[in-house]
Amino acid sequence: MNEPGGGEMRISTENDIVMARKSVREAAVALGFGVTDVTRIVTAASELTRNIYVYAGSGVMRWRSIVFENGIGLELTFADQGPGIADVERAMEPGYSTGKGLGMGLPGAKRLMDEMELHSEPGQGTTVCIRKWLLRR
Amino acid sequence: MAYGNISVIKVRDILLVTVPPDPDDLTVTELQEQVLQAMAVHEAKGLIFNLSTVDTIDSFFARTVTETVKMAALMGGLTVLAGMRASVAITTTQLGLSLGSTLTALDVDRAMDLLGTALRREESSA
Repeated sequence: MNEPGGGEMRISTENDIVMARKSVREAAVALGFGVTDVTRIVTAASELTRNIYVYAGSGVMRWRSIVFENGIGLELTFADQGPGIADVERAMEPGYSTGKGLGMGLPGAKRLMDEMELHSEPGQGTTVCIRKWLLRR
Repeated sequence: MAYGNISVIKVRDILLVTVPPDPDDLTVTELQEQVLQAMAVHEAKGLIFNLSTVDTIDSFFARTVTETVKMAALMGGLTVLAGMRASVAITTTQLGLSLGSTLTALDVDRAMDLLGTALRREESSA
């Protein structure tokens, strides 16, 4: 299922957050990211998998390497069929949370990565896609 | 003492807490309780969190650590966070987390010095 450079895992327990961090770390290191970027990517993945576990109960994380003209990147997608986010704009504000969290997860993950796209429909679920680019020198 | 992957070692009046590299949420939650209980049992005046082995600190971990610092303060204990890696310091700050006025040190050695000085100052002013 998990070929080099990509894979998918189900997130439904607290321990899956740890497993997701491990998988993402391996993928980022294999692509050649430096220690600081690896830490950034793993931390963003930790926030987003915890969001799945806390708000939706279960979901899926997918990762793959992507190629662009100047180099390669790592793309992570977090998808759930949970309650969705009623106010996406507010959810992106630091300090805003509908749960018991700090409200750091979504805005923090966005700052740690190069790109982030979020799609959410109340009652349908949430998909968050994040990317980090690795420039070729 | 070892609680799962957490080790708490008593050195004089200080508890030295070593955190595993990639702890799950349960381990992080247990850490808080075990550390505060150990503080009471050993009548410790100071805590050092050795974070040098930790390779990721997300918002849950950071919140639990900063909470524990406040809780320890309520029990009369002074905490120093020691040995945070550069990559972790960069990431937690960019994530948007702030440690407030928590004491920090580059490594455990310097944390011992810092805590020793701070505790002596407290004693002499008491």
